Amino acid sequence: MVEFKDVSVTYSSGVDALNKINLKIDDGDFAFVVGPSGAGKSTLIKLILKEIDATSGEVVVNGFNLKKLRRRKVPALRRTIGVVFQDFRLIPTMTVYENVAFVLRVIDAPAKYIRSRVPYVINLVGLSHKAKNYPTELSGGEQQRVALARALVNDPKLIIADEPTGNIDPALSYEIVGLLKGINECGTTILMVTHEHDLVRHFGGRIININSGNIAFDEVIGGSDEDK
Amino acid sequence: MKISSMRYLIHQGFKGIWKNRMMSFASFCIMLVSLLMVGLSVLLALNINRIIGGIEDKSEVVVQIKDGISDADREQLKNTIGALPNVNTIEFYSKENAWKSMMDGMTQEERDLFNYADDNPLPDTFRLTVHDIQKMTETTTQIDTFANVESTRSPTAFADVLISIRRVLGIVSGAIVIALIIVCLIIISNTTRASVFARRKEINIMKYVGAKNSFIRIPFFIEGMVVGILAAGAALALTKFAYEGVYSIFNDDFKLWSVLGVSNLYSFDQLFVQVAVSYAVAGAVIGALGTSFSTGKHLKV
Repeated sequence: MVEFKDVSVTYSSGVDALNKINLKIDDGDFAFVVGPSGAGKSTLIKLILKEIDATSGEVVVNGFNLKKLRRRKVPALRRTIGVVFQDFRLIPTMTVYENVAFVLRVIDAPAKYIRSRVPYVINLVGLSHKAKNYPTELSGGEQQRVALARALVNDPKLIIADEPTGNIDPALSYEIVGLLKGINECGTTILMVTHEHDLVRHFGGRIININSGNIAFDEVIGGSDEDK
Repeated sequence: MKISSMRYLIHQGFKGIWKNRMMSFASFCIMLVSLLMVGLSVLLALNINRIIGGIEDKSEVVVQIKDGISDADREQLKNTIGALPNVNTIEFYSKENAWKSMMDGMTQEERDLFNYADDNPLPDTFRLTVHDIQKMTETTTQIDTFANVESTRSPTAFADVLISIRRVLGIVSGAIVIALIIVCLIIISNTTRASVFARRKEINIMKYVGAKNSFIRIPFFIEGMVVGILAAGAALALTKFAYEGVYSIFNDDFKLWSVLGVSNLYSFDQLFVQVAVSYAVAGAVIGALGTSFSTGKHLKV
């Protein structure tokens, strides 16, 4: 669960990125965050990951009150969140398998669990045949699926996808969002930032529109694929 | 932390050396040169110090004994002087001995001249060496007050020169070594910073998936340490080669250099363990610390 209470962020340059935002995303939700560049979408994500702190207000993520969370405990917060980035951010010197297994190594998971869990998740995103390849040998869509597997492997409560379709073919975008939808159906909360309105219209669901640091629009709309 | 995780991290450290072989090689070379510079300077200073120490040991204090005292009194005086804390060795040198050695050092004409005197004018003496040349004057003043001592002679002027040479040498070599260490640390931390910078993306990703700082640091730490130890090994081999080369030059031409007390030079075998241990420790510590300091900057995400 993610909750923002009267959250404002003012950067040291004096820019007001967010202005008294109130927002609640319940467990099991799937929400698109849309809005023009510079509206405050990235700030929102940075807040959730505690990359930055709110200037005022309160942010609660998966039961962590971020204002009170000490630096040392930040890894514990991040272990409950999976992140997918626009630029994939895979480690180029590791194979697909290693990139995914890495997350479990970080949290000190037993070697036996790693050996069973990683192939399972890689299979889930349909890349079992490429497990031994390096990221550079994969297409953009495949790399993003690896990133998705990495976000998933730890079974996080929340997955944040920051424009996950920004760098891949439109046709593959639907595939990625489809995967995210599937994950959501298993109970994981998904927060997806995107620019692609076609995609949002196609899938429908909760849409949060941020404009100049304010929430301009927060409603559930029907997707075109649900009409079928 | 689990043993399997530790093993994984150590493995990652070793893998990192090969994956980043250009940077590892750069760090290796920098550390090798740094260790050699500092190591050879220290060895040089050690040897110069030892040569001066050798000269110091040879400078003797001569104590003239009053004429005509009994053997028992003489023996007692010897014990009294020998018991002084700064006195290292004491040896009785009879007037007959002194006479003989003086004669040996003379030409025949001179000897003839002296042989006219039937009496041996030389006194009985004690010759002693001291532990600390800086306290030589103090010691001789004390001996002067003893009964049955006629006078003392000591190379105080010479001792003063040696003392000041040693002091200057100590300051200069200390300053050079410290300056070298600082320069080396700066270069090494810059090199490792570049190596860490090349992998900042990797570190960034680790932070996002919830890696603790220690987890990120350990592989870098091990990588730096291993590169440091490898550099230490190479430095040790090169130092041995260079040192033994120079040592044999001095030893082959022994007579020419013996005046400098070259017989006092350390052989490399004498120093091998110390040099090896210092190199290994310095290499490992500098390598490990260098990388962890430079990783620290990128951990604040």
